Amino acid sequence: MSTQICRVVEVLMRSACCQTIRSRSCLHKAVLAPGAVSGLCAPGAPMLHRRAYSLDTLSSGPGRPSPNLQQPSAERTSPSSSLTHRNLSAVAVQGQRRPLCRYDFLDVGEVEENIRRAHACKKLRHFIVDPDLAKLVAQHLEPEDAKTVILECEPGPGVLTRTLLNAGAQRVVALVGDGAFLKDLQELENRLDGQLEVVHCDFFKLDPMGTGILKAPTMYSDKLFNDLGISEASWTDDIQVKVVGILPHSEERSKMLKMVYALFERLSVYRYGRVELNLFISEKEYLKLAARPGDMMNYRAYGVLWQMACDIELLHKEPWDSFVLSRKCTRRVKPSNLCLVRLRPRADLFSGGLTPSNAPTLMMMVKQLLAKRKAKLIDRLNLWCPDSGSKLISEMGMQEDILIGHVYPEEYLRLFQLMDKSQEFTQSWLYEEILENTQRDGWA
Amino acid sequence: VDVQHAKVQFVNAHSSGKVKVTMKKDLNKKKKDHAGIFATATSTPAEVEKLQKSLGQTVSQLTSLSNPERLQEDNGEIESGETQQNIRSYLEACVFAGHIEKAHQMLLSLIVTCSLGANKHSRVNTGIKCKWNLRLMILPCLSFFFLQGALNQIGRVFIMLEDAGLKPNLGSYCYALECMGRNPDCSPKTIIRCLNQMEEDGLSVDDVFSQCSFREDERDMVLKAMHIVEPDYQPRLSMTTDGCSLPLVEDFYKQVLQARFKLHHILQMDLQERFKRQLSIEEASTITIDSVEASKPITKNMARMRQLLADQRAQWQKILLQALRESKMILANTNTKDYRLNLYPYLCLLEDKDYVDIMIQSIANMSPSGESLKVLAKDLGNRVYTKYCVRQKHQNQILEKLGNIYNAYTELLAKDTKEFGLLPREHWCQLEKEQSSGPTLEGGETNWLYSVTLELGTYMVDLMVKSLKISGDILNPAYDKKLIPILYHMYAFRSTRQIGFIKPHPILTQIQQEAMETKLTFDSYVMPMLCPPVPWSSIKFGAYLLTPTKLMRTVEGATQHDTLLEKCQTLHPVLDSLNQLGNCAWKINKPLLDIIISIFNDRGSDKLDIPPPLSEAPKMPHFNPQDPTLTSSEKAHLKREAVNARRKYSEMYSLRMSSLYKLSIANHMRDEIFWFPHSMDFRGRTYPCPPYFNHLGSDVARAILVFAEGKPLGPKGLDWLKIHLVNLTGLKKRESLQGRLEYANTIMEDILDAADNPLNGNKWWMNADEPWQALACCTEIANAVRSPDPTQFISHFPVHQDGSCNGLQHYAALGRDVIGATSVNLMPCEVPQDVYSGVAQQVEEFRARDAASGMKIAQVLEGFISRKVVKQTVMTVVYGVTRYGGRLQIEKRLKEIDEFPKEHVWDASHYLVRLVFSGLKEMFTGTREIQDWLTESARLISKSGHTVEWLTPLGLPVVQPYRRTRHQVVSLILRVLKIIDTVKQKNAFPPNFIHSLDSTHMMLTALHCYSAGLTFVSVHDCFWTHALTVDTMNKVCREQFVNLHSQPILKELSKFLLEKYCDGLTRLRLGYSHHLTVFFSLWDNWTPSL
Repeated sequence: MSTQICRVVEVLMRSACCQTIRSRSCLHKAVLAPGAVSGLCAPGAPMLHRRAYSLDTLSSGPGRPSPNLQQPSAERTSPSSSLTHRNLSAVAVQGQRRPLCRYDFLDVGEVEENIRRAHACKKLRHFIVDPDLAKLVAQHLEPEDAKTVILECEPGPGVLTRTLLNAGAQRVVALVGDGAFLKDLQELENRLDGQLEVVHCDFFKLDPMGTGILKAPTMYSDKLFNDLGISEASWTDDIQVKVVGILPHSEERSKMLKMVYALFERLSVYRYGRVELNLFISEKEYLKLAARPGDMMNYRAYGVLWQMACDIELLHKEPWDSFVLSRKCTRRVKPSNLCLVRLRPRADLFSGGLTPSNAPTLMMMVKQLLAKRKAKLIDRLNLWCPDSGSKLISEMGMQEDILIGHVYPEEYLRLFQLMDKSQEFTQSWLYEEILENTQRDGWA
Repeated sequence: VDVQHAKVQFVNAHSSGKVKVTMKKDLNKKKKDHAGIFATATSTPAEVEKLQKSLGQTVSQLTSLSNPERLQEDNGEIESGETQQNIRSYLEACVFAGHIEKAHQMLLSLIVTCSLGANKHSRVNTGIKCKWNLRLMILPCLSFFFLQGALNQIGRVFIMLEDAGLKPNLGSYCYALECMGRNPDCSPKTIIRCLNQMEEDGLSVDDVFSQCSFREDERDMVLKAMHIVEPDYQPRLSMTTDGCSLPLVEDFYKQVLQARFKLHHILQMDLQERFKRQLSIEEASTITIDSVEASKPITKNMARMRQLLADQRAQWQKILLQALRESKMILANTNTKDYRLNLYPYLCLLEDKDYVDIMIQSIANMSPSGESLKVLAKDLGNRVYTKYCVRQKHQNQILEKLGNIYNAYTELLAKDTKEFGLLPREHWCQLEKEQSSGPTLEGGETNWLYSVTLELGTYMVDLMVKSLKISGDILNPAYDKKLIPILYHMYAFRSTRQIGFIKPHPILTQIQQEAMETKLTFDSYVMPMLCPPVPWSSIKFGAYLLTPTKLMRTVEGATQHDTLLEKCQTLHPVLDSLNQLGNCAWKINKPLLDIIISIFNDRGSDKLDIPPPLSEAPKMPHFNPQDPTLTSSEKAHLKREAVNARRKYSEMYSLRMSSLYKLSIANHMRDEIFWFPHSMDFRGRTYPCPPYFNHLGSDVARAILVFAEGKPLGPKGLDWLKIHLVNLTGLKKRESLQGRLEYANTIMEDILDAADNPLNGNKWWMNADEPWQALACCTEIANAVRSPDPTQFISHFPVHQDGSCNGLQHYAALGRDVIGATSVNLMPCEVPQDVYSGVAQQVEEFRARDAASGMKIAQVLEGFISRKVVKQTVMTVVYGVTRYGGRLQIEKRLKEIDEFPKEHVWDASHYLVRLVFSGLKEMFTGTREIQDWLTESARLISKSGHTVEWLTPLGLPVVQPYRRTRHQVVSLILRVLKIIDTVKQKNAFPPNFIHSLDSTHMMLTALHCYSAGLTFVSVHDCFWTHALTVDTMNKVCREQFVNLHSQPILKELSKFLLEKYCDGLTRLRLGYSHHLTVFFSLWDNWTPSL
């Protein structure tokens, strides 16, 4: 309960003091000065609540079990010495690894310095350098839960990484796509006791379509997960992997589409159970993602599929300029907010007759339907299978003349399950269509 | 599908929509008053015909009145131009279909709008719109008054014109005079007054006759009016200055009087006979021919399927006819009060049955994987348009006159008539002048806007999707006996966009494929012509007899080319060279065609580029995702296989069909002599109009075509045939001509073997680069060698001469680049130089150096760098290929080499493309410099908001059409802006400029070959002629290259750009203008020194 209140206060405070980085950085210097840890109880400063909160939760659970490192793979292709060391020590001192305590708190570094380092990245990316923002994100990830592994995509200067560790995360994997940041983080990895692993890998480029030899940072997810010792899990198991990152701005839509296709077919990272995504996406994209029926402009197949598959929660909105852009953007970036969105796959997604193998048909159906949202659902159904539309619709308990854009994602799932059971529909050409109109054409 | 939806997709549809909406609002307020004023216009039956006439007149003059003076540079003008075009074509359609009432309403509504618009509108662009609206206004008034036969009203109309601040133009006067001529009791005074005013406005009656286009007896009426005041008046038609003042072709036009061109083998009677046959084909609009698959035996199943299909088709015809009538009825009734442009008149142009036939035809040709809605709609719309044009010509009574002129024209070509010493175009123009009474051949009809074509097409597609059904149990009685639609509208998804698609139901596809119908129906223009094409005499008239053809092919919806061409005065050389290319007669190499058809009907052959029948396709793996015995990875694998099989299948289908079309057309023409009319693209590259079967096609198509005219081989002809054969095999690229000839002599035995036993001999020809052409050449050589005197052997065989790499040649010549020029054979040299080998050598040197210094990838590549690896990239580099594209090309080549380790392909291609680029830079120093200058100029021009334009040395105006469309919602109305695509304008300029030089060179060569009496055709930079005349052609080709580059090309370009873009400084941002001046004048002081 107290944590709840803390969170509410914190959000309020935060929105009240949404300022530029520069103004905040002075504040944070004071807080992070060596002696500042003891000065935490100075009243009035907004951070203090948060700090108190995080310390509070930290101290409440000292003896948690170690992260599950089932079957550490024997074939590590890039066995850095520290990794081996960590694995050994993890086995040896099982159950005894303690979270970082206040005495070896990691310094997240000067903001200016971090900004400078962020500029070293060659690709156009956003980075978190603001310690307060990092803390906020860290809280949303509930890092103190020792059962989950946190994959951080493109940590950049590593502010969030350190913040996560400070907040008590037991296992953080930094997926570094840009070589410029690799060395620095690897150094940190070596200094720690296995709480951090650094992999040269771009999360958003996992499992490329083409064939040929892969070069880091592109890799296949099975290699990544094998190396990390994460095993395939059943869909209904608890969440064991959380991903946090900022979606590359230029290819938001195609990356998101690729991920939702993978989710329905349980490919790529979703072979390893329900992977929870915590992503910063642009507000525009969020509106599309979370659009509800009736919003004919924004309610599209893309949103329907995501809403069908996941619980979507908007965790936080942050103005664009709180982030650091890796390099001078040639195009003017429209000022807007980035939304931190949690996409947690539903455990019951595959319980009602949907399987990874018939999911492509579901996706095809949704995409074909939602292409024309103002048409009547019954007409489209009749096209696919003459004279069966009204039967289906009455089974669904919907009105005869309901428009496609007024049907809820859950209803589409149910509709598909009904269709999939009916002999008539499985003979329809729709079922062949997935072979011609492949999803591969669905993303760039 | 429905039309509504289509509108959103179709880019242009809305440009007019905006006007309409504003129009409508105002109308509702004012309609009543104005309707009162004009209410008397409703016609009594007797007057209808008269009204129709005058409206036709009105419409025909809208163009001349409303043409925007300046070039369409900015959006507003293009938009208003399109709106005008739209309204014009609508009115024309109304008049043609006899909906006088509708046309009248439309005109009235326009008056209302513009009288209101003048002071009420405050939007952007209203200025422009008001202007043309006012111009439009005059015409309906005219038509209204003339309808009443009240001539005394004319004065009032002209006063109105004055009030509006506009001068009446030629069209208005022409119209006025015609009405006076028609009116039996028109006083001479009126006519004189009219003529006086014309004089005041600086117009002469002669201009009326030379510039306006007439239908039916309109011309005679104007003449009649003139004769009232001036009984012995005869229009003085100034001969348009024929000689061309361009320095490049001045000599040619002086010499041409001695030149002659005869089809040495055809009599005049024969040509006239052919004309009649061609005319009847074009009148029918479509032609049905036998498929080459017809010779296959009919199985029981086939017969059943054919019967099924025939029954269904009859049914569909009935249903569609019914549906079309109902839908038209609805359209007609709902739109009576609506002043917006609508489709109804466009649906009344043809008989209902014709529309239905067009739709049925499109079903037969549909691919099993469907067709994008846009493409399908465009095809349908175009078919209606073509048919409508043909009917229009009928109605205007053009056919008879056309026949007369054509018959007279054949005198120039036939072998049994006297010499004329005129070019075909000149002769044609002269004949037209001599027979000037009656309608003008070149009609003043408006082209339909792309959006109109699409909208009409979409309407028809919609009709088909909604009404065509088939019974579900037609093939398998086990299925339900439900009616299922045979066409679906669905979506395909490409990247993040969705594309409307029309797909046939699998049942339909199955029936069609199993029936293997023996007849193919094509549009008439798909076939080559049976008589020599009508020479291009203006940009609107030429090529086919009736079928409308565009002189310049452009991207859909681009209008700026037409405007530019219309203004251009110096097109004669371009038209003449197109005419010459079109005048080459062809026939079929029958023995070879038979061999190819036999393979085609057997099992095909991928190696010989003959697509196998679909029965040879890999078996479609059955894939059931529900099968519980499969693991997920097995399922994924099966699915991937199924997807691949399907992809392969549809690929095979489209290859097979295009081959089937080609061969069937060739087979249909096997005993004919035929012609390919030519048109060009926006850079002046020439193309034959028939799309499937022409000499630009694949190896197969080229091999079955020979010249209809034969010429003896002469002393060197046989040698040229042999050299040509070696060239076709792709061997001995680095040998001198002599070396190639010697090589050919050493393989004489193989050559004879190929000719005698093409399919059972040692089959060496199958490994040639161009196997079919090589085989054809072998046969020709064998026949020649076996004839009693090879020098007298009559050969029809075209021998090709390749420009070795024309793009680089032009750069080398422009830059006066000696090393570069040597390696592309511009400088005299013993052995033909091969630039590709040269570059490969250079690259190899670089590689060896890098390998020595320990670079791993350079070491891996040892022994793999060959001419073939670099060829494509070198060839395309001058046409603007980027590193990215170059890498892909090299990657493809490397993958083809089996021994090359696949894991290094990516690295190696990256590395190699870098080397190729730097190798080229080293060899062609000037090239890069010129390329950079061109790119930078284009960048500056497009940044300042213009499209890049230039004139080729032959006077053809070129404008780069690249624009991007951007959708913008302005107060709830979707606006489509067309923004200049800076990147494309910039990147495309150097290659396009070189292409335009290339085409100029080809045209020059064509013209001079013509005056030397050669047969000449071109496939871009590859020139064809008889073996006898190869030497002459080579000489002409070389001379004209020097001739072309002796012109100060870059200087002229620089001058042109300076004049065009730097004078109107107000339109340029100042910062740029300075740069521009500096840049463009860079080449000012350049002097030729080749």
